[in-house]
Amino acid sequence: MTITAPERRRLRRAAFVAGALVASAGVCVVVVSLLTTNRSHTSLPPPPRSALPLGRPTPLASDAHLARWAPVSAAAIARRAPDPSAPPVARLDTRTPEHTRNIVGLLGRTRGRGGRLWVRVRLAILPNGTSAWVPRRALGGYVFVHTRLVIDRRRLQAVLSRDGRVVFRAPVGIGKPAWPTPRGEFYVRDRLTSYRSPAYGPLAFGTSARSRVMTDWPAGGYIGIHGTDHPELLPGRVSHGCIRMANRNILRLGRLMPVGTPVIVR
Amino acid sequence: MAEDRTLRPSPSPLWPGGPTFDEIDPSGAISEAADRIRSTTRGGLLKQAGAGATILLGLHTPAAGAAAPASQKRDRAILNYALLLEYLQASFYTEAERMRALKGALARQAQVVGAHERDHVRSLRAVLGGAAIGRPRFDYRGVTEDPSAFRDTAVAFEDLAVAAYKQQAPRVQSKRLLGALLSIHSVEARHAAWIRYLAGRLPAPDAFDEPMSQRRVVAIVDDTRFIVAPAKTSGKKRPRFTG
Repeated sequence: MTITAPERRRLRRAAFVAGALVASAGVCVVVVSLLTTNRSHTSLPPPPRSALPLGRPTPLASDAHLARWAPVSAAAIARRAPDPSAPPVARLDTRTPEHTRNIVGLLGRTRGRGGRLWVRVRLAILPNGTSAWVPRRALGGYVFVHTRLVIDRRRLQAVLSRDGRVVFRAPVGIGKPAWPTPRGEFYVRDRLTSYRSPAYGPLAFGTSARSRVMTDWPAGGYIGIHGTDHPELLPGRVSHGCIRMANRNILRLGRLMPVGTPVIVR
Repeated sequence: MAEDRTLRPSPSPLWPGGPTFDEIDPSGAISEAADRIRSTTRGGLLKQAGAGATILLGLHTPAAGAAAPASQKRDRAILNYALLLEYLQASFYTEAERMRALKGALARQAQVVGAHERDHVRSLRAVLGGAAIGRPRFDYRGVTEDPSAFRDTAVAFEDLAVAAYKQQAPRVQSKRLLGALLSIHSVEARHAAWIRYLAGRLPAPDAFDEPMSQRRVVAIVDDTRFIVAPAKTSGKKRPRFTG
Protein backbone atom coordinates (compact mmCIF):
# COMPACT_ATOMS: atom_id res chain seq x y z
CA MET A 1 0.00 0.00 0.00
CA THR A 2 1.31 3.37 -0.98
CA ILE A 3 0.77 6.65 0.92
CA THR A 4 0.21 9.67 -1.22
CA ALA A 5 1.91 12.98 -0.54
CA PRO A 6 -1.25 14.75 0.80
CA GLU A 7 -1.89 11.84 3.15
CA ARG A 8 1.71 12.01 4.39
CA ARG A 9 1.26 15.75 5.18
CA ARG A 10 -1.98 15.01 7.08
CA LEU A 11 -0.30 12.31 9.10
CA ARG A 12 2.63 14.64 9.97
CA ARG A 13 0.17 17.37 11.07
CA ALA A 14 -1.73 14.88 13.22
CA ALA A 15 1.50 13.69 14.86
CA PHE A 16 2.55 17.30 15.53
CA VAL A 17 -0.83 18.13 17.14
CA ALA A 18 -0.65 15.01 19.30
CA GLY A 19 2.89 15.93 20.43
CA ALA A 20 1.84 19.48 21.26
CA LEU A 21 -1.08 18.17 23.34
CA VAL A 22 1.22 15.85 25.32
CA ALA A 23 3.73 18.70 25.96
CA SER A 24 0.97 21.05 27.13
CA ALA A 25 -0.31 18.43 29.52
CA GLY A 26 3.22 18.05 30.94
CA VAL A 27 3.56 21.78 31.46
CA CYS A 28 0.20 21.88 33.21
CA VAL A 29 1.26 19.09 35.56
CA VAL A 30 4.48 20.92 36.43
CA VAL A 31 2.70 24.24 37.02
CA VAL A 32 0.05 22.63 39.21
CA SER A 33 2.69 20.81 41.20
CA LEU A 34 4.67 24.04 41.72
CA LEU A 35 1.56 25.90 42.81
CA THR A 36 0.75 23.16 45.27
CA THR A 37 4.28 23.25 46.67
CA ASN A 38 4.24 27.03 47.06
CA ARG A 39 0.92 26.88 48.82
CA SER A 40 2.38 24.46 51.37
CA HIS A 41 5.33 26.85 51.94
CA THR A 42 3.14 29.83 52.52
CA SER A 43 1.19 27.84 55.03
CA LEU A 44 4.25 27.59 57.37
CA PRO A 45 4.15 29.92 60.37
CA PRO A 46 6.41 33.00 60.22
CA PRO A 47 9.67 32.82 62.23
CA PRO A 48 9.49 34.22 65.77
CA ARG A 49 10.82 37.72 66.34
CA SER A 50 14.40 37.60 67.62
CA ALA A 51 14.87 37.98 71.35
CA LEU A 52 18.11 39.87 70.77
CA PRO A 53 18.24 43.47 69.66
CA LEU A 54 20.00 42.83 66.37
CA GLY A 55 22.33 45.68 65.68
CA ARG A 56 25.06 46.45 63.25
CA PRO A 57 28.72 45.45 63.49
CA THR A 58 30.55 47.72 65.89
CA PRO A 59 33.73 49.07 64.31
CA LEU A 60 36.44 50.27 66.66
CA ALA A 61 36.47 53.94 67.49
CA SER A 62 39.53 55.92 66.45
CA ASP A 63 42.51 55.17 68.64
CA ALA A 64 43.95 58.67 68.30
CA HIS A 65 43.37 59.20 72.03
CA LEU A 66 44.16 55.68 73.12
CA ALA A 67 46.91 54.79 75.61
CA ARG A 68 48.07 51.31 76.55
CA TRP A 69 49.43 49.91 79.78
CA ALA A 70 50.23 46.51 81.23
CA PRO A 71 50.83 45.14 84.71
CA VAL A 72 54.27 43.79 85.51
CA SER A 73 53.57 40.10 86.08
CA ALA A 74 57.17 38.98 86.65
CA ALA A 75 60.18 40.93 87.88
CA ALA A 76 62.49 41.74 85.00
CA ILE A 77 65.43 43.84 83.95
CA ALA A 78 64.51 46.71 81.67
CA ARG A 79 67.23 47.11 79.03
CA ARG A 80 68.44 49.78 76.68
CA ALA A 81 67.73 47.62 73.62
CA PRO A 82 65.49 44.60 72.87
CA ASP A 83 68.24 42.14 73.59
CA PRO A 84 69.03 40.08 76.72
CA SER A 85 72.65 41.22 76.50
CA ALA A 86 71.85 44.94 76.17
CA PRO A 87 72.88 47.19 79.09
CA PRO A 88 70.36 47.22 81.96
CA VAL A 89 68.43 50.41 82.67
CA ALA A 90 66.45 49.46 85.77
CA ARG A 91 64.97 46.55 87.62
CA LEU A 92 61.24 46.27 87.12
CA ASP A 93 59.42 45.05 90.23
CA THR A 94 55.94 43.59 90.34
CA ARG A 95 54.83 45.90 93.15
CA THR A 96 54.79 49.62 93.76
CA PRO A 97 55.91 51.17 97.08
CA GLU A 98 52.18 51.27 97.95
CA HIS A 99 52.00 47.47 97.51
CA THR A 100 49.76 47.68 94.48
CA ARG A 101 50.59 45.89 91.22
CA ASN A 102 53.27 47.78 89.34
CA ILE A 103 52.27 48.85 85.86
CA VAL A 104 54.09 50.35 82.89
CA GLY A 105 52.96 52.53 80.01
CA LEU A 106 53.46 50.90 76.61
CA LEU A 107 55.29 52.81 73.90
CA GLY A 108 56.14 50.23 71.23
CA ARG A 109 57.17 46.67 70.50
CA THR A 110 59.54 44.71 68.33
CA ARG A 111 60.92 41.24 67.77
CA GLY A 112 64.34 40.63 69.22
CA ARG A 113 66.84 37.90 68.67
CA GLY A 114 65.21 34.49 68.17
CA GLY A 115 61.87 36.11 67.37
CA ARG A 116 61.22 36.93 71.00
CA LEU A 117 58.75 39.77 71.56
CA TRP A 118 60.00 42.88 73.41
CA VAL A 119 58.00 45.87 74.56
CA ARG A 120 59.29 49.42 75.03
CA VAL A 121 57.85 50.82 78.25
CA ARG A 122 57.82 54.09 80.11
CA LEU A 123 59.49 53.64 83.50
CA ALA A 124 58.76 55.23 86.88
CA ILE A 125 62.39 56.10 87.55
CA LEU A 126 64.74 59.06 87.47
CA PRO A 127 65.50 60.74 85.21
CA ASN A 128 61.83 61.27 84.42
CA GLY A 129 60.81 60.19 80.94
CA THR A 130 63.15 57.18 80.85
CA SER A 131 61.98 54.34 78.63
CA ALA A 132 63.49 50.88 78.15
CA TRP A 133 62.77 47.43 76.69
CA VAL A 134 61.35 44.49 78.62
CA PRO A 135 60.43 40.98 77.42
CA ARG A 136 56.72 40.68 76.64
CA ARG A 137 56.47 37.66 78.93
CA ALA A 138 57.25 39.86 81.96
CA LEU A 139 54.01 41.77 81.39
CA GLY A 140 50.38 40.83 81.88
CA GLY A 141 47.41 41.60 79.66
CA TYR A 142 47.26 44.90 77.84
CA VAL A 143 44.75 47.48 79.02
CA PHE A 144 43.54 50.38 76.88
CA VAL A 145 42.44 53.74 78.28
CA HIS A 146 40.78 56.62 76.48
CA THR A 147 41.51 59.31 79.07
CA ARG A 148 44.35 61.82 79.38
CA LEU A 149 45.10 64.26 82.18
CA VAL A 150 46.94 67.51 81.47
CA ILE A 151 48.39 69.56 84.32
CA ASP A 152 49.01 73.14 83.26
CA ARG A 153 51.60 74.57 85.66
CA ARG A 154 51.16 78.13 84.38
CA ARG A 155 47.37 78.19 84.69
CA LEU A 156 47.41 75.95 87.79
CA GLN A 157 44.74 73.77 86.26
CA ALA A 158 44.04 70.07 85.71
CA VAL A 159 42.07 69.05 82.62
CA LEU A 160 40.88 65.49 81.99
CA SER A 161 39.70 64.51 78.52
CA ARG A 162 38.12 61.32 77.26
CA ASP A 163 38.50 60.54 73.56
CA GLY A 164 39.67 64.12 73.13
CA ARG A 165 36.64 65.69 74.82
CA VAL A 166 37.12 67.61 78.09
CA VAL A 167 35.19 65.93 80.91
CA PHE A 168 36.82 67.49 83.99
CA ARG A 169 38.55 70.73 84.87
CA ALA A 170 39.75 71.88 88.29
CA PRO A 171 42.20 74.35 89.89
CA VAL A 172 45.25 72.70 91.44
CA GLY A 173 48.17 73.29 93.72
CA ILE A 174 51.62 72.34 92.41
CA GLY A 175 55.16 72.30 93.80
CA LYS A 176 56.84 75.35 95.27
CA PRO A 177 59.72 76.75 93.21
CA ALA A 178 62.21 74.88 95.45
CA TRP A 179 60.36 71.56 94.95
CA PRO A 180 58.89 71.88 91.47
CA THR A 181 56.36 69.50 89.98
CA PRO A 182 58.38 67.85 87.20
CA ARG A 183 57.44 68.53 83.61
CA GLY A 184 57.00 65.60 81.22
CA GLU A 185 54.82 62.64 80.22
CA PHE A 186 53.85 60.17 82.93
CA TYR A 187 50.99 57.81 83.79
CA VAL A 188 48.71 57.07 86.73
CA ARG A 189 50.20 54.08 88.51
CA ASP A 190 47.74 53.34 91.30
CA ARG A 191 44.85 54.61 93.35
CA LEU A 192 44.68 54.76 97.15
CA THR A 193 41.61 55.23 99.31
CA SER A 194 40.41 54.67 102.89
CA TYR A 195 43.76 55.62 104.45
CA ARG A 196 44.05 57.83 107.53
CA SER A 197 45.91 60.92 106.42
CA PRO A 198 43.90 64.15 106.06
CA ALA A 199 46.83 65.87 104.33
CA TYR A 200 46.21 63.67 101.27
CA GLY A 201 42.41 64.06 101.31
CA PRO A 202 40.05 61.13 100.68
CA LEU A 203 41.75 59.78 97.55
CA ALA A 204 45.24 59.78 96.08
CA PHE A 205 46.55 58.70 92.69
CA GLY A 206 50.18 57.61 92.44
CA THR A 207 51.98 58.57 89.24
CA SER A 208 55.18 57.50 87.52
CA ALA A 209 56.65 60.99 88.05
CA ARG A 210 59.40 61.52 90.62
CA SER A 211 60.71 64.66 92.23
CA ARG A 212 64.21 65.55 91.07
CA VAL A 213 64.97 67.18 94.43
CA MET A 214 62.99 65.20 97.03
CA THR A 215 64.89 61.99 96.34
CA ASP A 216 65.33 61.20 100.04
CA TRP A 217 61.56 61.29 100.62
CA PRO A 218 60.13 57.97 101.88
CA ALA A 219 59.59 55.54 98.99
CA GLY A 220 61.71 57.71 96.69
CA GLY A 221 59.75 60.93 96.23
CA TYR A 222 56.96 59.91 93.88
CA ILE A 223 54.54 62.59 92.74
CA GLY A 224 50.89 62.02 93.61
CA ILE A 225 47.59 63.62 92.67
CA HIS A 226 45.46 63.93 95.77
CA GLY A 227 43.07 65.91 97.95
CA THR A 228 44.06 68.28 100.76
CA ASP A 229 43.14 69.51 104.20
CA HIS A 230 44.11 73.05 103.18
CA PRO A 231 41.81 73.89 100.25
CA GLU A 232 42.23 77.60 100.96
CA LEU A 233 45.73 77.43 99.48
CA LEU A 234 44.43 76.39 96.04
CA PRO A 235 45.21 77.25 93.35
CA GLY A 236 48.86 77.94 94.01
CA ARG A 237 52.47 76.79 94.18
CA VAL A 238 52.17 75.26 97.58
CA SER A 239 53.25 71.60 97.59
CA HIS A 240 56.43 69.53 97.72
CA GLY A 241 55.83 68.53 94.12
CA CYS A 242 52.49 66.71 94.32
CA ILE A 243 49.37 67.93 92.56
CA ARG A 244 46.71 68.88 95.06
CA MET A 245 43.08 69.62 94.46
CA ALA A 246 39.95 70.21 96.56
CA ASN A 247 38.53 67.03 98.05
CA ARG A 248 35.29 67.27 96.09
CA ASN A 249 37.34 67.57 92.90
CA ILE A 250 39.62 64.61 93.63
CA LEU A 251 36.54 62.50 94.35
CA ARG A 252 35.03 63.56 91.03
CA LEU A 253 38.31 62.81 89.28
CA GLY A 254 38.33 59.42 90.98
CA ARG A 255 35.08 58.56 89.23
CA LEU A 256 36.39 59.60 85.82
CA MET A 257 40.07 58.68 85.63
CA PRO A 258 41.17 55.05 85.46
CA VAL A 259 44.61 53.78 86.42
CA GLY A 260 46.95 53.87 83.43
CA THR A 261 45.75 57.29 82.26
CA PRO A 262 48.61 59.30 80.72
CA VAL A 263 49.50 62.43 82.72
CA ILE A 264 51.10 65.31 80.84
CA VAL A 265 52.65 68.03 83.01
CA ARG A 266 53.53 71.16 81.10
CA MET B 1 23.17 16.11 80.84
CA ALA B 2 26.15 14.48 82.41
CA GLU B 3 28.77 16.63 80.72
CA ASP B 4 27.30 19.86 82.02
CA ARG B 5 29.13 20.07 85.28
CA THR B 6 30.05 23.12 87.21
CA LEU B 7 32.48 25.73 85.95
CA ARG B 8 33.97 25.90 89.43
CA PRO B 9 35.50 22.49 90.08
CA SER B 10 37.50 23.53 93.16
CA PRO B 11 38.86 26.58 94.95
CA SER B 12 42.36 25.67 93.76
CA PRO B 13 44.08 27.68 91.02
CA LEU B 14 42.81 27.13 87.49
CA TRP B 15 46.36 26.19 86.53
CA PRO B 16 49.63 25.97 88.47
CA GLY B 17 50.48 29.44 89.71
CA GLY B 18 47.37 30.91 88.10
CA PRO B 19 44.36 32.60 89.67
CA THR B 20 41.49 30.77 91.31
CA PHE B 21 38.03 30.97 89.87
CA ASP B 22 37.07 33.32 92.71
CA GLU B 23 39.71 35.75 91.53
CA ILE B 24 38.56 35.86 87.94
CA ASP B 25 34.89 35.70 88.83
CA PRO B 26 34.65 37.85 91.96
CA SER B 27 30.94 38.50 91.50
CA GLY B 28 30.21 34.79 91.13
CA ALA B 29 28.19 35.49 88.02
CA ILE B 30 29.95 32.95 85.81
CA SER B 31 29.67 30.12 88.29
CA GLU B 32 26.11 31.11 89.05
CA ALA B 33 25.33 30.80 85.37
CA ALA B 34 26.95 27.38 85.23
CA ASP B 35 25.16 26.21 88.36
CA ARG B 36 21.84 27.20 86.91
CA ILE B 37 22.45 25.30 83.71
CA ARG B 38 23.45 22.25 85.72
CA SER B 39 20.66 22.28 88.27
CA THR B 40 17.75 22.94 85.96
CA THR B 41 16.61 19.62 84.56
CA ARG B 42 14.68 19.08 81.38
CA GLY B 43 11.88 17.44 83.39
CA GLY B 44 11.58 20.43 85.63
CA LEU B 45 11.40 22.69 82.66
CA LEU B 46 8.66 20.64 81.05
CA LYS B 47 6.58 20.85 84.22
CA GLN B 48 6.86 24.59 84.14
CA ALA B 49 6.07 24.88 80.47
CA GLY B 50 2.42 25.37 81.34
CA ALA B 51 3.25 28.58 83.11
CA GLY B 52 3.64 30.12 79.69
CA ALA B 53 6.76 32.07 80.57
CA THR B 54 9.33 30.84 78.14
CA ILE B 55 10.24 34.06 76.44
CA LEU B 56 13.13 36.04 77.84
CA LEU B 57 11.47 39.36 77.30
CA GLY B 58 11.34 40.01 81.01
CA LEU B 59 15.01 39.29 81.60
CA HIS B 60 16.03 42.89 81.86
CA THR B 61 13.10 43.94 83.99
CA PRO B 62 13.24 44.03 87.78
CA ALA B 63 10.49 41.41 87.90
CA ALA B 64 12.84 38.86 86.37
CA GLY B 65 14.62 38.18 89.61
CA ALA B 66 14.20 35.35 92.06
CA ALA B 67 10.59 34.83 91.03
CA ALA B 68 11.51 34.04 87.41
CA PRO B 69 10.53 30.55 86.26
CA ALA B 70 13.27 27.94 86.03
CA SER B 71 13.11 28.02 82.24
CA GLN B 72 13.94 31.73 82.24
CA LYS B 73 16.73 31.22 84.75
CA ARG B 74 18.19 28.49 82.64
CA ASP B 75 17.93 30.50 79.45
CA ARG B 76 19.60 33.40 81.23
CA ALA B 77 22.42 31.13 82.36
CA ILE B 78 22.93 29.94 78.79
CA LEU B 79 22.98 33.54 77.62
CA ASN B 80 25.65 34.40 80.19
CA TYR B 81 27.70 31.43 79.06
CA ALA B 82 27.42 32.68 75.48
CA LEU B 83 28.36 36.15 76.69
CA LEU B 84 31.53 34.81 78.29
CA LEU B 85 32.60 33.26 74.96
CA GLU B 86 31.74 36.46 73.12
CA TYR B 87 33.80 38.52 75.59
CA LEU B 88 36.74 36.20 74.97
CA GLN B 89 36.49 36.62 71.20
CA ALA B 90 35.61 40.32 71.12
CA SER B 91 38.55 41.29 73.35
CA PHE B 92 40.85 39.08 71.29
CA TYR B 93 40.00 40.70 67.96
CA THR B 94 39.88 44.18 69.49
CA GLU B 95 43.37 43.82 70.90
CA ALA B 96 44.64 42.38 67.61
CA GLU B 97 43.24 45.34 65.70
CA ARG B 98 44.65 47.86 68.15
CA MET B 99 48.11 46.32 68.26
CA ARG B 100 48.29 46.59 64.45
CA ALA B 101 50.53 43.57 64.05
CA LEU B 102 48.36 41.96 61.36
CA LYS B 103 48.47 42.77 57.68
CA GLY B 104 46.37 42.13 54.58
CA ALA B 105 43.61 39.53 54.63
CA LEU B 106 44.25 38.62 58.24
CA ALA B 107 43.93 42.25 59.38
CA ARG B 108 40.69 42.54 57.42
CA GLN B 109 39.36 39.36 59.01
CA ALA B 110 40.18 40.66 62.52
CA GLN B 111 38.53 43.97 61.76
CA VAL B 112 35.28 42.50 60.38
CA VAL B 113 34.94 39.60 62.81
CA GLY B 114 35.88 41.85 65.74
CA ALA B 115 33.03 44.18 64.83
CA HIS B 116 30.64 41.22 64.77
CA GLU B 117 31.82 39.86 68.12
CA ARG B 118 31.49 43.27 69.78
CA ASP B 119 27.94 43.45 68.48
CA HIS B 120 27.20 39.99 69.85
CA VAL B 121 28.44 41.20 73.24
CA ARG B 122 26.32 44.33 73.05
CA SER B 123 23.18 42.39 72.09
CA LEU B 124 23.60 39.74 74.77
CA ARG B 125 24.27 42.38 77.40
CA ALA B 126 21.20 44.31 76.32
CA VAL B 127 18.97 41.26 76.79
CA LEU B 128 20.55 40.22 80.08
CA GLY B 129 20.50 43.72 81.55
CA GLY B 130 21.57 43.68 85.19
CA ALA B 131 21.97 39.88 85.10
CA ALA B 132 24.85 40.07 82.62
CA ILE B 133 28.23 38.88 83.88
CA GLY B 134 31.02 41.45 83.87
CA ARG B 135 33.82 41.45 81.34
CA PRO B 136 36.74 39.35 82.61
CA ARG B 137 40.34 40.50 82.23
CA PHE B 138 42.32 38.87 79.46
CA ASP B 139 45.99 38.36 78.82
CA TYR B 140 46.54 37.05 75.29
CA ARG B 141 50.27 36.67 76.00
CA GLY B 142 51.50 38.13 72.74
CA VAL B 143 49.20 36.03 70.53
CA THR B 144 47.55 39.17 69.11
CA GLU B 145 50.99 40.46 68.09
CA ASP B 146 52.06 37.42 66.10
CA PRO B 147 50.14 36.76 62.83
CA SER B 148 50.78 33.02 62.89
CA ALA B 149 49.75 32.60 66.54
CA PHE B 150 46.77 34.88 65.99
CA ARG B 151 45.56 32.80 63.04
CA ASP B 152 45.82 29.50 64.90
CA THR B 153 44.08 30.92 67.98
CA ALA B 154 41.32 32.46 65.88
CA VAL B 155 40.66 29.08 64.22
CA ALA B 156 40.43 27.47 67.65
CA PHE B 157 38.14 30.21 69.03
CA GLU B 158 35.73 30.13 66.10
CA ASP B 159 35.50 26.34 66.00
CA LEU B 160 34.96 26.40 69.76
CA ALA B 161 32.20 28.99 69.55
CA VAL B 162 30.39 27.04 66.82
CA ALA B 163 30.51 23.83 68.86
CA ALA B 164 29.47 25.59 72.08
CA TYR B 165 26.45 27.28 70.51
CA LYS B 166 25.47 24.00 68.90
CA GLN B 167 25.41 22.33 72.32
CA GLN B 168 23.43 25.03 74.12
CA ALA B 169 21.00 26.32 71.50
CA PRO B 170 18.70 23.26 71.51
CA ARG B 171 18.45 23.52 75.31
CA VAL B 172 17.01 27.01 75.23
CA GLN B 173 13.32 27.09 76.07
CA SER B 174 12.41 30.40 74.47
CA LYS B 175 11.81 30.07 70.73
CA ARG B 176 12.67 33.70 70.20
CA LEU B 177 15.93 33.21 72.03
CA LEU B 178 16.63 30.04 70.09
CA GLY B 179 16.24 31.97 66.84
CA ALA B 180 18.60 34.65 68.12
CA LEU B 181 21.24 32.15 69.21
CA LEU B 182 21.01 30.34 65.88
CA SER B 183 21.55 33.64 64.11
CA ILE B 184 24.78 34.05 66.06
CA HIS B 185 25.72 30.40 65.59
CA SER B 186 25.58 30.59 61.79
CA VAL B 187 27.70 33.74 61.81
CA GLU B 188 30.28 32.02 64.02
CA ALA B 189 30.31 29.18 61.50
CA ARG B 190 31.03 31.69 58.72
CA HIS B 191 33.84 33.16 60.82
CA ALA B 192 35.24 29.67 61.32
CA ALA B 193 35.15 28.95 57.58
CA TRP B 194 36.81 32.28 56.80
CA ILE B 195 39.71 31.93 59.21
CA ARG B 196 40.17 28.25 58.33
CA TYR B 197 40.50 29.27 54.69
CA LEU B 198 43.11 31.92 55.63
CA ALA B 199 44.95 29.30 57.66
CA GLY B 200 45.08 26.97 54.66
CA ARG B 201 42.67 24.49 56.22
CA LEU B 202 39.47 23.06 54.80
CA PRO B 203 36.69 25.52 55.65
CA ALA B 204 34.18 22.67 56.02
CA PRO B 205 36.08 19.47 56.78
CA ASP B 206 33.12 17.32 57.86
CA ALA B 207 29.57 16.65 56.73
CA PHE B 208 28.33 16.93 60.31
CA ASP B 209 29.64 19.04 63.20
CA GLU B 210 29.68 17.79 66.75
CA PRO B 211 28.52 19.95 69.67
CA MET B 212 30.87 20.50 72.60
CA SER B 213 29.89 20.39 76.26
CA GLN B 214 30.28 23.38 78.54
CA ARG B 215 32.74 21.45 80.65
CA ARG B 216 34.97 20.74 77.66
CA VAL B 217 34.74 24.31 76.37
CA VAL B 218 35.68 25.74 79.76
CA ALA B 219 38.58 23.31 80.07
CA ILE B 220 39.92 24.45 76.70
CA VAL B 221 39.53 28.12 77.60
CA ASP B 222 41.29 27.46 80.91
CA ASP B 223 44.16 25.79 79.09
CA THR B 224 44.81 28.96 77.13
CA ARG B 225 45.34 30.94 80.38
CA PHE B 226 43.87 33.91 78.60
CA ILE B 227 41.43 34.74 81.44
CA VAL B 228 43.35 36.32 84.28
CA ALA B 229 42.72 38.01 87.58
CA PRO B 230 42.51 41.79 87.29
CA ALA B 231 45.69 43.60 88.34
CA LYS B 232 45.29 45.01 91.84
CA THR B 233 46.03 48.66 91.20
CA SER B 234 44.03 50.04 94.15
CA GLY B 235 45.15 50.02 97.75
CA LYS B 236 44.49 51.37 101.21
CA LYS B 237 48.00 52.08 102.38
CA ARG B 238 48.82 55.56 103.56
CA PRO B 239 50.31 57.47 100.62
CA ARG B 240 53.99 58.38 100.79
CA PHE B 241 53.95 60.77 97.86
CA THR B 242 55.81 64.05 98.21
CA GLY B 243 52.63 65.80 99.31
